[in-house]
Amino acid sequence: MLTTIVQAVVNGLLIGGIYALVSIGVTLIFGVVKIVNFAQGEFVMIGMYISYFLAARFGVDPLISLFVSMPLLFVIGVLLQHFLIRRVLALGDMPQIFLTFALSLLLVNMALLLFTADYRTVQTPYSETAIHLGGLYVPIAKLIAFAVAMMLSGLLGVFLRITDLGKAMRAAAQSRDVAMLMGINPDRVFGIAVGVALALAGAAGSLLMPFYPVYPLVGQVFVLMAFVAVVLGTLGNVTGALLASLMMGVAESLGIQFVGADSGLIVVFAMLLLTLAIRPKGLFGGWSR
Amino acid sequence: MEATRTASFAERYGRRDFLKKSASAAVAAFGIARKAFAAERVNIGALYPTTGSFAQIGQGCVNAAKLAVQMINNDGGIKSLGGAKLNLIVSDVQSDTTVTRTETDRLISGYKLSAIHGCFASALTLIASEVAERAKMPLLTGSSSDLLNKGRHYTFTPFCRASQFALAQLQMSKLVSDTPKVAVIFENTAFGTSTSNGLREQAPNQGVEIVMFEPYSAGLTDASPLINKVKASGANMLFPVSYLNDLILIIRAIKQNGLEIAINGGSGGFVIPDFYKNVGGVAEGLLGVAHWNHDFDGDSQKVNEVYKNQYGEFLFEYAGGLVAQTFMIADALERAASADPQKVRDALSTLDVSSGYAAMGPGGRVKFGPDGKNIYAHPVGVQWQHADLASVFPKEDARAQLMKS
Amino acid sequence: MQGALTSRGLWVCALAAAALALPLLISSGFVIDIFIRILLFALIGVAWNLMGGYAKQLSLGHAAYFGLGAYTSTILLIRFGVSPWIGMLAGGAVAMLASLPIGALCFRLRGPYFAIATIAIAQGLMLLFLKFRDFAWGAEGTTIPNLGQAPLMMQFESKAPYYYILLALLAVGLAITWRIERSWMGYYLVAVGEDEDAAEAVGVDSLLIKRNIYLLSAFLTALAGTFYVQYIYFIDPNTAFSFNVSVEAALVSIVGGIGALWGPVIGAVLLEATSALLQSWLGGGHGGVQLSVYSLILITVILWRPSGLIGVLTDAYGRVVRATAAYAQKAPLDG
Repeated sequence: MLTTIVQAVVNGLLIGGIYALVSIGVTLIFGVVKIVNFAQGEFVMIGMYISYFLAARFGVDPLISLFVSMPLLFVIGVLLQHFLIRRVLALGDMPQIFLTFALSLLLVNMALLLFTADYRTVQTPYSETAIHLGGLYVPIAKLIAFAVAMMLSGLLGVFLRITDLGKAMRAAAQSRDVAMLMGINPDRVFGIAVGVALALAGAAGSLLMPFYPVYPLVGQVFVLMAFVAVVLGTLGNVTGALLASLMMGVAESLGIQFVGADSGLIVVFAMLLLTLAIRPKGLFGGWSR
Repeated sequence: MEATRTASFAERYGRRDFLKKSASAAVAAFGIARKAFAAERVNIGALYPTTGSFAQIGQGCVNAAKLAVQMINNDGGIKSLGGAKLNLIVSDVQSDTTVTRTETDRLISGYKLSAIHGCFASALTLIASEVAERAKMPLLTGSSSDLLNKGRHYTFTPFCRASQFALAQLQMSKLVSDTPKVAVIFENTAFGTSTSNGLREQAPNQGVEIVMFEPYSAGLTDASPLINKVKASGANMLFPVSYLNDLILIIRAIKQNGLEIAINGGSGGFVIPDFYKNVGGVAEGLLGVAHWNHDFDGDSQKVNEVYKNQYGEFLFEYAGGLVAQTFMIADALERAASADPQKVRDALSTLDVSSGYAAMGPGGRVKFGPDGKNIYAHPVGVQWQHADLASVFPKEDARAQLMKS
Repeated sequence: MQGALTSRGLWVCALAAAALALPLLISSGFVIDIFIRILLFALIGVAWNLMGGYAKQLSLGHAAYFGLGAYTSTILLIRFGVSPWIGMLAGGAVAMLASLPIGALCFRLRGPYFAIATIAIAQGLMLLFLKFRDFAWGAEGTTIPNLGQAPLMMQFESKAPYYYILLALLAVGLAITWRIERSWMGYYLVAVGEDEDAAEAVGVDSLLIKRNIYLLSAFLTALAGTFYVQYIYFIDPNTAFSFNVSVEAALVSIVGGIGALWGPVIGAVLLEATSALLQSWLGGGHGGVQLSVYSLILITVILWRPSGLIGVLTDAYGRVVRATAAYAQKAPLDG
């Protein structure tokens, strides 16, 4: 029984790492640019396809393709901000939300057109192996994904706190107008924010490829959890998103184990609604409006 | 955003309609042109999900449907109608229930059809069958849901039902162990629910103990929690009832978590070439069930060869089954000597074939009872052997030796 | 003002007449089906617009009420033999009741939090109904019994009656919106939508307003839900609580004209027409082409006319009016 519980927690943490990568990207964009990017999952999908094709054509291990997917998606992010997001910044919530919605729709369907709906997998030497620790099994591919995810999150945290650019981003997140008064160019900062967020999504994609199949709709599988994590951890709060993701991974896993195999999501939703009832702005957002 | 994660989002993108006034005129004109044309051809409707979450299988089905029509036309068409050729009218139902409803309607009311077949996924077929029933259009399907035979006069199911799959799986579990302790995990839509129900109801009779019986939300991010639960249940056999994406994760998670367990993957995503492509050598020796397999007899092997040459993979369960269904429709057309759907329906209800492509399924014979079920239909147990699917159970249908792991 | 009113009134009458006559002119069941879909999305959009357009509460979970309405009437029909006409009203009542706790929870949330919470609720309901096998058929769903031509049980063998029912429901929705627009509630709604804190400061009870409009919005959406089941003969949790429905509800209003009376109607017409055009040009089999083009169009509208295309139409109408007025003015001078 103890082994089962510990295994469940380990499973939850490992997948939580992936949720974290996706949700941090969303929360970063929201924090700085104040837009909810509903297409974040699709950038994970793009990252996965990049890794898939590098593996299938050139035999490149997905973990190595991180060095391709991340920069590529960073650039895409900057372009995205410059050409699309910038134009809706002045409009209200709704056009912004629906822009990223439409983008999500577009990306999924272009992927369908280009790659068909086939599931594609990559086999690596570590795709199905695991570390034994007593009765515990820690799948290596997922462990690596978790480790890299934590590392990237840590790097982001350092970046935000220590570098000038990071501080500028945090300033813009707190108050765009004041930041401008301080000489911070919001456009540049937003571009970098979106770029970094998409790079993280790309990383999630590459890390997923060793153990998850890629297909056009794959992004949507992860984006739901990511969004709940973002809200739970308070929109805009990177640490919050990370912690919430891990919590949710564990809650989902325990929910499946002890409530019912189809109840993982219900447990997570219950967590969300309960939290919002007590703290309307998420765990780190204070008590009132 | 979604519970059955892939499915719901597929619905998000499922919307289809035609244009207003100008289009209605065009449709009318087109309809007239079509009707004139139809005098020389017999129209058959095919409704399959070529986009959305079932797209892979749907595309294979459409390929097979076209192949079947080609075969019949090359052989002289429908002789009793003066050699009339079959004209296949394909519609994409986008893996979405609403679209299925509209498309079935559109096909039936927009074209002069004699029969239709579809839709692979039970949830979709149920809707198509409802529409067909009200429109008095005969529908053939390989979908296994037992609900398809309830209170319908126009739906014909030439292949085994979900409850029969369940029975076969239970019987096969004895091949692997004398005291089978089975864990059943199933995706929580129509397919998973009806198949698993059959398992639960019949297990006691077969002396099989079910130690875990759990629906799960289709579209897993991670199968490890599920497998963890299976481990804890002490099962020595696993029956997953899933579509392909989840199967891939489940099989891999079993390996990753060091779970030594026999698997009977049922049908659906388990018995298609893509399963092997994605899971690789791990699939060798895994057992499943199917309502049709390509090694049954000379006819099915022939069709398999043609299909393999054209599409590069073996002819899978549902696709092969619908080739047979097309031949059944042709047989009905021959005997009815008319393209009128009511007459075709009546001819189908009196169908009795035991040779040729129409009868190339397990049991080798097709004859429909009053509820549209083929009284000779039964499933065949299959096993992945050397990257191909071999029939191994029951003895009469076995075409290869059971591989022991 | 007087002139504008009558000419507007004339337009509405002409439109109503055309709408009423439509099924008599079109024989193709399939084309009527398209109009039914247009009316359905317009209705759902009108319901959504009350919340999202006027009060600016962006709900992406209206499918919750759609599904509640659909399931209520179906459960009453199949388990108790109650006519869907009554079931429809019962569904509306259930939806209204549900909107109270949902509102209580969600209205404290602002902006995207509200949207995501509504998504979670609709999804949560879907999950619950996937589990309830005994009472509500679970994942498999159910078909409604085939009663042939049974007007008292909302089943018809031809499409036209369905069309008229929807038309009536839509008219009700539009009438309600129209009345609210002109009432004190309408003013408060817009105030709350524009700036909730400021509205509160001047004494508007924003929570009460939001609650009331939510009741209405939920009610209308539930009616659409009942209709839908009766029309497609089938219900299951995926269809009833479909995220697609929630998105459609918002989309038709956004594209057509948020916060405008006719916005959702225009949006529904445009979106469905585009969808149909694409379908007929590009057909099936090329998975992804249709929806790619569709989403590109959406992006264009959002970037070009974020307040909705109704702006384009009113502008065009305005230009026509001014041109005719100018012409009318010129004529007497020219003698």
